[in-house]
Amino acid sequence: MKLLGAILIVLASTWAGVEWSRTVSERSRQLRMLKSALQSLEAEIVYGMTPLSVACSHICRQVGHPVSWFFDSFRKKLEEGHTTAYDAWMKSMDEVWKYTAFRQEEKEIMKQLGATIGQQDREHEQKQLQLALIHLEREEQEARNNQMKYEKMFKSLGFLGGILLVILLI
Amino acid sequence: MEEVLRVLPEGVKEIIKQYSKQERGGIEEIRLRINRPLEVIINGSPQFPRLNGREYYVSREDASQMTNKLSQYSLYALEEELKKGFVTIQGGHRVGLAGKVITSNGSVKAIRDIASFNVRIAKQKIGIATPLLSYLYSDGWMNTVILGPPNSGKTTLLRDLTRLMAEGDKGRRIASSKVGIIDERSEIAGCVKGIPQHQLGKRVDILDACPKAEGMMMMIRSMSPDILIVDEIGGLKESEAIIEAVNAGIRLVVTVHGNTIEDLYRRPSIQELIRSGMFKRFVELSRTRGPGTVKSVKDHKGNEIRRSKVI
Repeated sequence: MKLLGAILIVLASTWAGVEWSRTVSERSRQLRMLKSALQSLEAEIVYGMTPLSVACSHICRQVGHPVSWFFDSFRKKLEEGHTTAYDAWMKSMDEVWKYTAFRQEEKEIMKQLGATIGQQDREHEQKQLQLALIHLEREEQEARNNQMKYEKMFKSLGFLGGILLVILLI
Repeated sequence: MEEVLRVLPEGVKEIIKQYSKQERGGIEEIRLRINRPLEVIINGSPQFPRLNGREYYVSREDASQMTNKLSQYSLYALEEELKKGFVTIQGGHRVGLAGKVITSNGSVKAIRDIASFNVRIAKQKIGIATPLLSYLYSDGWMNTVILGPPNSGKTTLLRDLTRLMAEGDKGRRIASSKVGIIDERSEIAGCVKGIPQHQLGKRVDILDACPKAEGMMMMIRSMSPDILIVDEIGGLKESEAIIEAVNAGIRLVVTVHGNTIEDLYRRPSIQELIRSGMFKRFVELSRTRGPGTVKSVKDHKGNEIRRSKVI
């Protein structure tokens, strides 16, 4: 009976550790997704001259949740009309941001991008997108460093913490 | 009209909706200028419509709404259009633009800060070319020049002629032809993304926004048309391309600015073309009884043709 309890405790704490480490890796995964979405957007704008709403529906099909939710909501708002591209961008960010693992830094980058989206010629749109991509690259680098540092640590911490608890209780 | 309402800012939309159905049918232009009253031209006479007893002044906000709607919130997608100064919208209507022009190396790069919009309502007049059939067709279409001063309905006539050629006429035993249109100013077919917005028949291929001289050669090489339609010829290069096309056995219908055939003889770039006798028919248009008045139809020697037989 004691043994069963001990195993349960270790399992539970290991699982908690894995979950915890996932939140760390999730941010860098979503950052990669956002980056590839913006790269697609750049291609759509620069080479395809596709209007934003059409470009966004293409992007939605290429990237996974929750980044696709953002572009989907942006597209819907543009198609409804009665707004500006900047407004639609900001509102979509407010709606979707809580479901993402992004932090304040990413929010600032996206805000800056939204301020000019759809209001300039191709050259300038491309420059803005590339600027955003460079910033995101840096964030991703940092996120990946964090991931390497903490992911393993959280996992082992969960497992070892479980064992510690078992030893203390025995 | 629905298509036009869709691109207008909300305030302007309300005003246009005030007009009765009949008045709305007569609208030729809707003009928006920032900080100046809205102008609507109905059947040739300008009006400054009132909302709640006051003339409607177009605001900066209205202009940016209009730009947003025209570009679908993506200004970069309008790059070519901003260079040319007009946007063709669904239905073949055109929105002319004016504002601050950006140049690079002396040529226009784009219009920024658009301050004036001119929505020109396109109206296809189906059937206006039918009375001319007996002049222009006998055992095949003849090479034809349509000439007239600006705003005399040259392009409208050309459009209907195109439709007749592409559809044929079973009653008069005219077979349909493959028609190629070189539409440099996007006026004949009013294309949106390459799809014609006017009713032009099944057998029409269009090179939209393509330079005329180059376009004619491209069309001949790639689409094997029976008839080529070209609007507003004038340059030397175009004349060369026309000679090339006629020698390739292709029929041509073109429009030219000018009041009479004599005017064409005075223009160095096309006088050769006219003298050579390639063009068998000249349709002279005037504005005397409104756009589209046919003044006369002449043959290649400049003699007026009377209707001899009805086919």
